[in-house]
Amino acid sequence: MGLTKKYGSTLAVDHLNLEVQEGEILGLLGPNGAGKSSALMMLSTIIKPTEGTAEVGGFDVRKNPYEARELIGIAFQEAKLLWMNTPWEILNWHAKVCGVKNPRQAAEAILKELNLWDARKKLALELSGGMKKRVEIAKVLVQRPKVAIVDEPTAQIDISGKYQIWEKIRSLRDEGSTIILATNELSEADRLADRVAIMYHGRLRVCDTPRNLKDSIPGGDVIDIRFETPVEDRTVSELKGIAGIVDLALVKPTHMRIYLNRAEKMLPKIMQLLSTLHVGINSINMKEPSLDDVFFHYTGTILDETQATPGVPSP
Amino acid sequence: MSKILLVMERDLQSLIRHKSILVMRWFFVIVQIGIFGLAVSRLIVVMPNYYNYYAMGVIVMTMYSVAIFTGYEIYDEADDGFVEYLLSLPITRRELVLGRSLAGGLRSFIFMSPIIAVFLLIIGVLDPLKVLTALAALYGFAFGVSGLSITLAVGLKSGDRFDIIMGALDAFIVRLSTALYPQAFMPGPIATLSMFNPLSYATDLFRWSLNFDIRFLANPAVALIVLVIFLMTFNFAGVMIYERNLEGGSWR
Repeated sequence: MGLTKKYGSTLAVDHLNLEVQEGEILGLLGPNGAGKSSALMMLSTIIKPTEGTAEVGGFDVRKNPYEARELIGIAFQEAKLLWMNTPWEILNWHAKVCGVKNPRQAAEAILKELNLWDARKKLALELSGGMKKRVEIAKVLVQRPKVAIVDEPTAQIDISGKYQIWEKIRSLRDEGSTIILATNELSEADRLADRVAIMYHGRLRVCDTPRNLKDSIPGGDVIDIRFETPVEDRTVSELKGIAGIVDLALVKPTHMRIYLNRAEKMLPKIMQLLSTLHVGINSINMKEPSLDDVFFHYTGTILDETQATPGVPSP
Repeated sequence: MSKILLVMERDLQSLIRHKSILVMRWFFVIVQIGIFGLAVSRLIVVMPNYYNYYAMGVIVMTMYSVAIFTGYEIYDEADDGFVEYLLSLPITRRELVLGRSLAGGLRSFIFMSPIIAVFLLIIGVLDPLKVLTALAALYGFAFGVSGLSITLAVGLKSGDRFDIIMGALDAFIVRLSTALYPQAFMPGPIATLSMFNPLSYATDLFRWSLNFDIRFLANPAVALIVLVIFLMTFNFAGVMIYERNLEGGSWR
């Protein structure tokens, strides 16, 4: 409810209004610096909002932070481990603090499930980046909180590890936890989230199911064209003149995205026009709208490709 | 209460991890008492049994330097982002500070216990009541120092400032106390300042418990009251400052 966070003059979260439904996975999608982590930190009572407030399970995070914390488990973007502790000590202690019954058994089960059992006696500082991240995720999995917050859960994790963690997050949801998943990976949001909220420059741009978001893109299809040289204004205006093209946007000077109906019928006309204008083309890709298109449509920018998951196909 | 014990458990684990630091400090204390203490006590002829006086002072001084370590850990944790994890847990800030203070005191106590045990055997004080009183004085002091360390670490909000303040405090708190020499032998202003120093009262209470000559010590009742005020003040201040400074995320 109007959740706002300022760091000095920097507005990190700008009057965020968002309701998360019980038992859903809400994907909070946005690039680094969009305000996702700050919003989650306020929700988990680690930092106080500058304005507005939020409720977790009916508890106001400003007035009843302790009660809110009892319902929340958070896996941070960067693993927060004491480097002189072992995964076994970390999970065992975390389980005890969070009131888990049979903490030792719970910790053992999760360590085995996440392939960390053999590394249970290593100091955290000796673990690889991926292993540290898995220990961080394991904290939420061992806790099984009412509200689980996972901030970029598969960053630094290899492909098979990603699939494993996605499965665990789904299981957590199926067991009754509400999950808020912050990510800058489109495929992760598309695979896991029941609803996706797009944040950009601290503000919520849109929130709906992935299907509804994709359907909200004008036209039923998308054609992505990458040109050899920057697109000239004349090319843009000529393309806009073709009947059936609903919208058109330049992602980059050499990268155009065309929203239209019945792309397979329209493509020859577009090709013919571009040929007439002597425009060099590097590649053409015809597809249904993806979350990438949704993100572009609502923010006017694309998520940095370097943040995307290499080798993981979109569902 | 159980959450306080869990916080203590975690901090006590870290003591075991710092084996090399422990061994180094043990060597320092042993050499200080075993060599320097013996040598310097031969020079001191105006005071009877100065060796025991000195050794007891070194024990309390060392407990101070171990208990103060909690504050440095808080800075390391802030650098690693670990403080965010602690703040996300279902533990009240009061439990967190009290758990850490109690553990800080207990850590210094555990660290010094072999040396204290050997020392008690050497001086021949085996009366359980006296031993318990002496240990209680030591633990109370270490608990208070830990609270002081947390208060300063969280209150100063700067690692550099904390280092400077702790360095200065370390230098002055020992020299302006009765840890190494009795008040009667101090120049006037220093003697006055030593009366406001909790280390003076902790060491004197420890010595009184172990039958040291009362003529050279502060009144034990006064020492006890000062120690209680000291540990309560800084633990209360620690809780208040921790809630105010960390809850709002201002460590960032």
